[in-house]
Amino acid sequence: MSRQIIYKSAMVLIIGAVTVIGGLQLYQHRHFQTPIIAGPGVTKIKKLSEYAPGLKGTMADTNVFFLEGSEPGGKMLVIASTHSNEPSALLSSLIFLENAAVEKGTLIIIPHFNNSGSRSTRQGDGYPLYFHIKTPWGNKKFRMGNRVAAPLDQWPDPDVYVHYPDKQLLSFLDVRNTNRTWPGRPNGALMEKVTYAAMELIRKENVDLAIDIHGAETMFPVTNCIVAPEKSMRIATMTSLTLKAMEGFDNHVEPSPTGFRGLSHREIGDFSEALPFLLEAPIPFLDQPTGPKTENLLLDGKDPFLLKLAQKGMLFVPYDETGWPMAKRVGQHCSAVLEIAKQYSQKNQERAVKISNVPRYKEVVENGVGFYYKDPSKAKKENIFYN
Amino acid sequence: MQTQIFITFLVIIAAYTIAKWRKLSVEISMFLAAVAGGLFGAITNTPRLSQLARHLVEGSFTYLDVMLIFVTATIFMAIISESGGVNYVVKNVIKYFYNKRLIVLLLLMLITLVPGALTGAGSVSLLVVGAPVAMALGYLGIKRKKAAAILFIVAGLSAAAPPVNIWAMILSAGTAIPYVGFELPLGIPVLILGTFTVLVLGWKKEEKSDLESALKQMPDIPKGMKWWRVFIPFLVFFGLVAALRVWPFSLPIIGLPLQFVIAAVFALLLSPKKINILRLSRDTVKKLTPLLATMIAVGMLQQIMTATGVRGLISYTVISIPLVLLFISLAVIIPVSEGVFTYGGAAIIGIPLVWYLDSIGLHATMAIAGLSLIWPLGDGLPPTALIGRLSVMVSEYKKSYWSFLKSTWLPWVVITIVGILMVVFSSQLDFLVKWSM
Repeated sequence: MSRQIIYKSAMVLIIGAVTVIGGLQLYQHRHFQTPIIAGPGVTKIKKLSEYAPGLKGTMADTNVFFLEGSEPGGKMLVIASTHSNEPSALLSSLIFLENAAVEKGTLIIIPHFNNSGSRSTRQGDGYPLYFHIKTPWGNKKFRMGNRVAAPLDQWPDPDVYVHYPDKQLLSFLDVRNTNRTWPGRPNGALMEKVTYAAMELIRKENVDLAIDIHGAETMFPVTNCIVAPEKSMRIATMTSLTLKAMEGFDNHVEPSPTGFRGLSHREIGDFSEALPFLLEAPIPFLDQPTGPKTENLLLDGKDPFLLKLAQKGMLFVPYDETGWPMAKRVGQHCSAVLEIAKQYSQKNQERAVKISNVPRYKEVVENGVGFYYKDPSKAKKENIFYN
Repeated sequence: MQTQIFITFLVIIAAYTIAKWRKLSVEISMFLAAVAGGLFGAITNTPRLSQLARHLVEGSFTYLDVMLIFVTATIFMAIISESGGVNYVVKNVIKYFYNKRLIVLLLLMLITLVPGALTGAGSVSLLVVGAPVAMALGYLGIKRKKAAAILFIVAGLSAAAPPVNIWAMILSAGTAIPYVGFELPLGIPVLILGTFTVLVLGWKKEEKSDLESALKQMPDIPKGMKWWRVFIPFLVFFGLVAALRVWPFSLPIIGLPLQFVIAAVFALLLSPKKINILRLSRDTVKKLTPLLATMIAVGMLQQIMTATGVRGLISYTVISIPLVLLFISLAVIIPVSEGVFTYGGAAIIGIPLVWYLDSIGLHATMAIAGLSLIWPLGDGLPPTALIGRLSVMVSEYKKSYWSFLKSTWLPWVVITIVGILMVVFSSQLDFLVKWSM
């Protein structure tokens, strides 16, 4: 056997082995199920496809949890995992889902809005496949997802994405980004169907408040903030001021641009009666100039490069050796959601949404995020839902 | 941590250098550099050894779509060429415009600009019209090296031209700036710089030729070849691209690869001579394999560089440069980032850079437009050199790659200066954005 054949055979074997091992890990990640424990407040669970049948049987279909109060009132929708690489949104939504008691009105939660994206990875970006949250009963494991839906579920991409209905040209990748495909359409691309289903939910359930939770880079000006269109501005401003005064953290208000289409904070308001809000908390993991993309960086937000850039005044949030831990981000989201509901309810008694038993910023920072998650091994089987 | 990352960077460079020294191909060298970087990073669990295979597999898929476009577009053009269509077009261009050099050069420039402007990919321009344009340039007395240089620069400009500019789209998406108002900031410089390029590189007739001998030298056109046999497949392709823009909500998204396949089927059916499609496809893929393998290896390397923190180190270093020096160094940083990461460079360096420029009062849209004029130049630089290699391939220039690249120096320098000036004076030039809206 010539040397060249041996060399080529060895290369084929190595590449084959790498492909099988790596491919298997990616397959397992895509099919990993996160157990969600429906808390005492959960009264019914629907599928998003019930609002847009085109989603049925696809990876884009996802669970919608309803927490209905004993007293009728308004309705608030909380959307998490629009971008599944911004996990503080999912973690916050699960705190509500597993703990909240709704006294008046209805709280609707979609923890994995872009379910397909949560089962995908970001090629070229070296993310970890999973992250773990410490709880009193052990570690809870979550999938780390991607900003856009998996090409396995929606493919091919167009050469340029033409936004519906404005015809604004957006990056080809944005056709799989559920924060660019609002308000969606029933017969469009899969992610347009996802946002259309959510719009239908908002319209049919008469949702008053729609909150889309995100995370943003520390070098991005639109971070640590509430993004709101004109119609939501008063509540957003009151929320921001109250959080600063009562809980001591910054969460400034950013106006939703009218010329930038497809975003939840713009289109939900324009295509329904609901008041939209988009919450952003800093996530250093997503910044470009960081060290290795590890689980630690994702959870504690500590990075030496960002620290140096902060000292040069190049970040848009305060940043020191303590980084920007997950508990801080989740705590901010919990407080902001509760405060938006409170501010709205004060002025709209008939349509009030009153929620209790959800921790605020200070408690989450003190106790940690995992403190609020229930142990699946001790939960009743009928209360466990897999997403 | 920073020392560890820096050493990992050195390990990657050393592995690549040793592999090249051992005369291994670019793609194998890059693969080995990625493996070496990953193994060294694994010492500190960045990434974990158990995840190394997954990172390599995941990274290898980064450019899958681009690779599919390359394959299908090249097969489409190979059918046109095999059917005699390329020769037919070139012969007619030469016949009717041979003595009107300015018009013919501008016409060839526009033909090259259109596919890339519509799709955002200079590679599409080269794959679709590169071969006939190169041949026409040759018959106009322009040497192959210069023809390749013209194609490289104009194809790069076509990718930067509106309406679709992928760098600007990536930057707009990453910095939450609407992708609007780019028509004039990109369109005007592209047309001026394109005209400058074809005139500087193509005005002088370097090889003796006259119309009669040029026509004689050209290969025979197969019997039965008519203009509509060449025109219809292109009409089908551009028709599909245009239709998806005009009726985006009535037509399904089929993607560029399938659009090329459909056009290729038309080309095959309309060919005046029988074509063995299996042989042609096999030969085309064989020819493209090194390029495709490079794309796979670049994706792997990019993934490992991110997982180990090397990518972050590069990004940090760039945005830490003092402002004046930063403006000057854009001339190197931007093309090199494209050469290493292709579109990834826009995300790694471009996004933090635009945020930084925006925060010091520069106009973000104009700055993005300026930067995205410089990025395509990097497509001529190794290790990827995508557009450069395609330009050389379609113009059949067989000599040293570097000699081809050197011949692009004048338009390269002018484009770089224009791009940097657009960034520096972005606030003063913001009227171009307003006029576009």
